[in-house]
Amino acid sequence: MYGRKVKLRFFFVFLILTILSLSIFLILKSLEENVVYFKSPTEIKILSEINNNKIRIGGMVKENSILIEEKKLKFVVTDFKNEINVVYSGVIPNLFAEGKGVVAEGFLKDRSFFSATKILAKHDENYMPPEVKKALEEK
Amino acid sequence: MASLVGYYSLLSGFFCSFLIIYFSIINFNDTKILDKRILSFTFFQFFFVVISFFGLIISFVVSDFSNETVFNHSHTTKPLFYKISGTWGNHEGSLLLWLLVLTLFIYLFLLKSVEQKKSYRILTLLFQEIIIIGFFVFLIKTSNPFNYITPIPKEGLGLNPILQDPALAIHPPVLYLGYVGSSIIFSSALAGVTLNYISKDWAKHIKNWVFISWIFLTLGILLGSIWAYYELGWGGFWFWDPVENVSLMPWLSLTTLLHCILVLEKRNILNSWAIILSITTFALSMCGTFLVRSGILNSVHTFANDPERGLFILIFLFILIFLSFFVFFFFHKNENKTLINLNWVSKETAILINNWFMMYFLIVVLIGTVYPIFLEVITSEKISVGPPFFHKLIIPFLIPFLIFMAIGPQLKWIKSNLKNKLYLILFLIISFILTVLIVKNLSINFFTNTILLTAAFFLFFITIRDFFKKKFNNLSQNIAHFGFSLLILSILFNNIFSNEIITNLKIGETFVSDKFKISFKDINQKDEQNYKAIIGKFEVIDSKGSNLIMSPELRIYNQPNIVTSEADIKTNLLTDKFMTMNFVQNQEYFNIRYQIKPFMVWIWISVILICFGGLISLFKKKYEN
Amino acid sequence: MKTKIYPIFLIFVFSIIFFVFYKGLKNSNIYTPDVKSQINIPKFQAKDFENNKTINSKDIFLNDKFYLLNIWASWCIPCREEHKFLMNLHKEKLIDIIGLNYKDNHLKAKKFLDDLKSPYKIILKDLDGTIAIEWGAYGVPETFLIHNKKIVKKIIGPLNENSILEIKEIIK
Repeated sequence: MYGRKVKLRFFFVFLILTILSLSIFLILKSLEENVVYFKSPTEIKILSEINNNKIRIGGMVKENSILIEEKKLKFVVTDFKNEINVVYSGVIPNLFAEGKGVVAEGFLKDRSFFSATKILAKHDENYMPPEVKKALEEK
Repeated sequence: MASLVGYYSLLSGFFCSFLIIYFSIINFNDTKILDKRILSFTFFQFFFVVISFFGLIISFVVSDFSNETVFNHSHTTKPLFYKISGTWGNHEGSLLLWLLVLTLFIYLFLLKSVEQKKSYRILTLLFQEIIIIGFFVFLIKTSNPFNYITPIPKEGLGLNPILQDPALAIHPPVLYLGYVGSSIIFSSALAGVTLNYISKDWAKHIKNWVFISWIFLTLGILLGSIWAYYELGWGGFWFWDPVENVSLMPWLSLTTLLHCILVLEKRNILNSWAIILSITTFALSMCGTFLVRSGILNSVHTFANDPERGLFILIFLFILIFLSFFVFFFFHKNENKTLINLNWVSKETAILINNWFMMYFLIVVLIGTVYPIFLEVITSEKISVGPPFFHKLIIPFLIPFLIFMAIGPQLKWIKSNLKNKLYLILFLIISFILTVLIVKNLSINFFTNTILLTAAFFLFFITIRDFFKKKFNNLSQNIAHFGFSLLILSILFNNIFSNEIITNLKIGETFVSDKFKISFKDINQKDEQNYKAIIGKFEVIDSKGSNLIMSPELRIYNQPNIVTSEADIKTNLLTDKFMTMNFVQNQEYFNIRYQIKPFMVWIWISVILICFGGLISLFKKKYEN
Repeated sequence: MKTKIYPIFLIFVFSIIFFVFYKGLKNSNIYTPDVKSQINIPKFQAKDFENNKTINSKDIFLNDKFYLLNIWASWCIPCREEHKFLMNLHKEKLIDIIGLNYKDNHLKAKKFLDDLKSPYKIILKDLDGTIAIEWGAYGVPETFLIHNKKIVKKIIGPLNENSILEIKEIIK
């Protein structure tokens, strides 16, 4: 009688452990696939290979670089060392403007061309990516 | 003047803590009854914090810019409503509000627990006072809301206009009621462990507190979502943003706790679960405050923050966590009650299984939220975890979760049999057929959508059946579960049938697609008290030929100078039509977004139903017994 | 035995979490906004417009005194409009005005000042526009009111009667 209960308990512990390790494995695996890295234009310049993963880029929108057409928006993101051309179609947040910080999410086509799927809106008007700030401080 | 009163009142409240602790310790082994002085000092503490809070509100209302908090967050031209709500819309004020609710709840707890043992009441009070002292020190040391500035500025810096919204004005207080309610559960669980009192009686007593905090937490999250939908103009209500996740985590843990408490009350099992969950819920609430206030998270909802404050909360949080470890491992005796006899087919097994699922959801959200912090510290790689991660890991497990949620209530406590449960299969088949009929004409992923919809419909029909079958028996649970099925259904339909157009238009231009024709007629300007509005006029003609005038707005606020978009939302019971307009610097083009979002209102209604279910259970014991 | 492993393990795990959070606090946050209108003015170096000497920002802005930093350029039309307000402020000697000459041609800027007179105590040059960015400026013209090395107020766009009145009220 007692033996059966102990066995049952072992079975439970075993079950829980299996489920636990399985779910942790699952979580880690999909983390790997769904993580979005953040890069600055300079980091992109020195990238060894270009893959098809989604990334975010951050920097300042270069002055006089915004060009808008009916379907898309083109602009240049700079960290004052390197630049990258961005093409985007979609919602443009209000705080998006020349000379202001921007974070765009999308795919890298080559080292100087980025196709954005999303421009992140911010609640605060004074946002500046720290990479850019650092680059400015180093000057 | 009001600030000065507020400040000294705050200090008096802090002083009360020590008196309370002193008298509590004296009283602990002293007599059988609770010392009257403890109760009165608890009241005084609450009273002083109320005075202090009113002091801050008055400073905001009269725009007393000699107060730094008021100067930073208010402006004379702001409407009165937002002057008042501005009191807790900032870091300092929101902490004062935390403190206010903390002191209120412990006072109420003492009043409501008269029939409990004296030692248990005093211990709960002591644990709660540790938390209260922590908050007092935090407030006075790092974020005093009554700092004085000279020379006195004539005008304040204004409140971020995006925060000037009715839903957001009441969102923090409601959410805090939920968070702070969990602190009472935490203290009482620790007191219960120390006295070996985690039992049926304890469950019966703490149940109401669990329900109250759960209702407020649910409402708080709902309000935050409503704000995001109406004010941000992103056309969504949940973005899996860290700041949102942080409020979801205590909710998941509290919901699990709620079910555990019910089992504990009926069967006197799952004691350890209840203790651990009480601790987890509060730790996660505090963790949420830490993550939001320290700015450690990469969120789109960031607000100004200060690392020093973050450090304080972090240390405080870990002191509480280690304290609860100590209490748990030192005092908790798992008496192995003749090896818990769980029957496979019983209500408690179903609840336990779903608790495991909820723990899994909690772990997913937790990892998705804190993983970027870990990775940045270890590899200095900056990342963010997006919605696909959460969708991928949560949606598949939602299916068995929904099915267990439907079956669980059909089972009996202790032991149940599967006779007369044929209707379950019948309902499952009906749901499946209905789903196939809906899904087959759509060009979406057939497999996952079908199974998910089937599971949601299954829960939906089962709960509807229960309304007729069981009448008032277990009404609260039934309403809450029904609300949940409605929520999942609305979210699914909202996702499946949404339609969106994003385009750039000049005035006078027309956008044509196979479904809609959108013409940009003209723009008007309007001057308001604290902003200038640019109102666009659009005519939308759909394929059926019915036309609609939409007029989204751009608002240019003067204090501080910020541009926001006001979406034009046309709501009816079936769909929301949603249009926002943004302008691009130095360009003639406007960026237009038009969305059709079905069943949007039902998402809000279903969450309100869930809360309502919880509310009923507060009163249910009157007719159930 | 078993009862001791759990607490030690948990304490260990949580200590690691504590450490990571603590470290994370110090890391800069990629999305943290700089609340420029409430915090200290940026530290920077710039060349003097008159004699090309390098000036350090901390030598310009003293404590306990109000300053007005005005970003201008000769090519900017609204700057001409707001110029008379700056001149009035200058004549009334209420406040020291610091000019930041933004992305400008030196000769044209000089001509601008010769035509309209200079209200500025010091003029700094910002050839590539980076100083203006450090200040979180939107564009030209833009004016910052500074007290105790903190930005008290920021006026975007040209100054007008109202903004001058507001400035006067604050510095009174």
